[in-house]
Amino acid sequence: MALAIKAEGIVKTFQSGWWHRKVKEVLKGIDLQVEEGEVFGILGPNGAGKTTLLSILSTLLLPDKGNIRILGIDALQDGHRIRERVNISSGNANFIWSLTVLENLRFYAMLYGLSGKRRETKIESLIDLFDLKEHLEVPFDRLSTGLKQRLSLAKSLLNDPTLLFLDEPTVGLDPGVSMRIRDQILATQKANRMTILLTTHNMKEAESLCHRIAFLREGKILAIGTPGDLKKVVRVGDLIRIQFEGSISEEELLRMEGVINYSISNQSCEIMVDDAERRAGPLAALLSSGGARIKHLTLEQTDLEDVFVEFSKDAGSDRGFCV
Amino acid sequence: MSLLNFQRMLVQIGAFAFKNWIITKRNFFSLSEILFWPLVGLFSVGLLTVFLQLDESMTGFILIGVMSMSLIQVCQIDVAYALLYDLWAKSMKHTFIAPIRPFQLISGAWLIGMARSSLVFLLLSIFSGIAFGFNFFQSGAISLILYLLGLFLIAVSIGIGVCILVLLFGYKAEVAAWSITSLMALICGIYYPISILPSPLPEIARAIPLTYFLEYFRSFYGFEGRINSLLLRGFGLIGLYLIIEAVLLRWVIHHARKNGTFIKLSE
Repeated sequence: MALAIKAEGIVKTFQSGWWHRKVKEVLKGIDLQVEEGEVFGILGPNGAGKTTLLSILSTLLLPDKGNIRILGIDALQDGHRIRERVNISSGNANFIWSLTVLENLRFYAMLYGLSGKRRETKIESLIDLFDLKEHLEVPFDRLSTGLKQRLSLAKSLLNDPTLLFLDEPTVGLDPGVSMRIRDQILATQKANRMTILLTTHNMKEAESLCHRIAFLREGKILAIGTPGDLKKVVRVGDLIRIQFEGSISEEELLRMEGVINYSISNQSCEIMVDDAERRAGPLAALLSSGGARIKHLTLEQTDLEDVFVEFSKDAGSDRGFCV
Repeated sequence: MSLLNFQRMLVQIGAFAFKNWIITKRNFFSLSEILFWPLVGLFSVGLLTVFLQLDESMTGFILIGVMSMSLIQVCQIDVAYALLYDLWAKSMKHTFIAPIRPFQLISGAWLIGMARSSLVFLLLSIFSGIAFGFNFFQSGAISLILYLLGLFLIAVSIGIGVCILVLLFGYKAEVAAWSITSLMALICGIYYPISILPSPLPEIARAIPLTYFLEYFRSFYGFEGRINSLLLRGFGLIGLYLIIEAVLLRWVIHHARKNGTFIKLSE
């Protein structure tokens, strides 16, 4: 499959203070490849460099070093051509305050060269998609945060982008609105087969939206992979809790496929496995055949948040994974 | 350039005109920029000429100066608004992620600036005729158009200057939108001939195109001036400055993409 984004060795430093004496290296040699039609997430703690990376890939910011090809076009030589085919929506979106929803959409549609009936048809379809009809005449500064986000997403689709950048698309929204926006993003992505690159703090969001995820910390990518693969990589397994009568053979437990770790105390044990749903049945059978009577069994699946915590913990390490 | 691309370019220019037009018609302060301040300025200075019992030509000298300043101020602020609204709304990155060229941003806003400025000219001309008996149309249509064109070009040049400063210094530079014109008023002979300025100010005034357009238009009201030479110098200088600014604006936008200015000004 063709690559929507191919970035090699991206380095970005910012200078501040008197005579630019303070130098902060925000990105320290990022390599990234995103396939066409993929939803790719960038996760990382505050200050990891997520927004800087997204800004560079969207041509808003130029890197100090590195090569970038966006949709097959050299981003450093021909940013203008790329801007025709990409767009951005960000959390805490800001548009001209006194312009209404409709006027803001018209203004940005014109920036992409849309005019006449084509422009109005496009705007109408986005108004329907993001349910903005009742708010068309409301100035931007009187919109709720959720409506601002919906307007921002509508704006970002005006030019039918091949590649869409979403910077924390649901930040500051309540769970219901967030879920609705995620559904709208997914529906649009499927309908248009567009590539999406999104940054988020929200693990559930990343897990539900992204085909692949990169963990970014202190300007470096620590791991790239599918949500499932990343869980395996950090060996933060799922947990199976068992209460039992009788005895359990620790040797047999260790020999069993998928077991990462375990602890046994007072007729109960916690077993960490790679995939709780897959391992629970064979594990129960093994323990039963060894003479233990299982009274109670619960599964606790790891989510991406645990993986994120695991990565964030290890601040001094330079480990990197690609799955 | 294909017809389709040309049409697209016009639409993109139209976007900035559309934005400025909507904000102008909705904002009370924008309306006061057209109606209130220019009228107050002309009326108060006009009354001063009455009080000082200045003759007709001296009154004309001063009223032409006031008119010129008002037109430049109204037009240049519209050009500066092309970026200032984005600066205030923190929406800069959405404008610069769109496939627009610097000249589209400037010329769209300039169109509205010229329209607003022409309206101001019409209002002030009628008012000065009624209140002070001064006729701004005496020079004839072509001279008037050349004079106005000169002022509009000066305005776009100042507006681009403000945009450059905003991209370089952010909020710290917004004050330039209101102060550059006042500085020009001091140097270019709005209320007095530049010959009375202490050195080196007259030499500096000679490097500013407004000086020539003022002298050109005043020459139709009994003041000295070699018309063709004044126009040549005025348009020549403004052409030179616009070329320099076009290069600078391109560089500043590139610099802004390097320094993250669009991101910082959108946070």
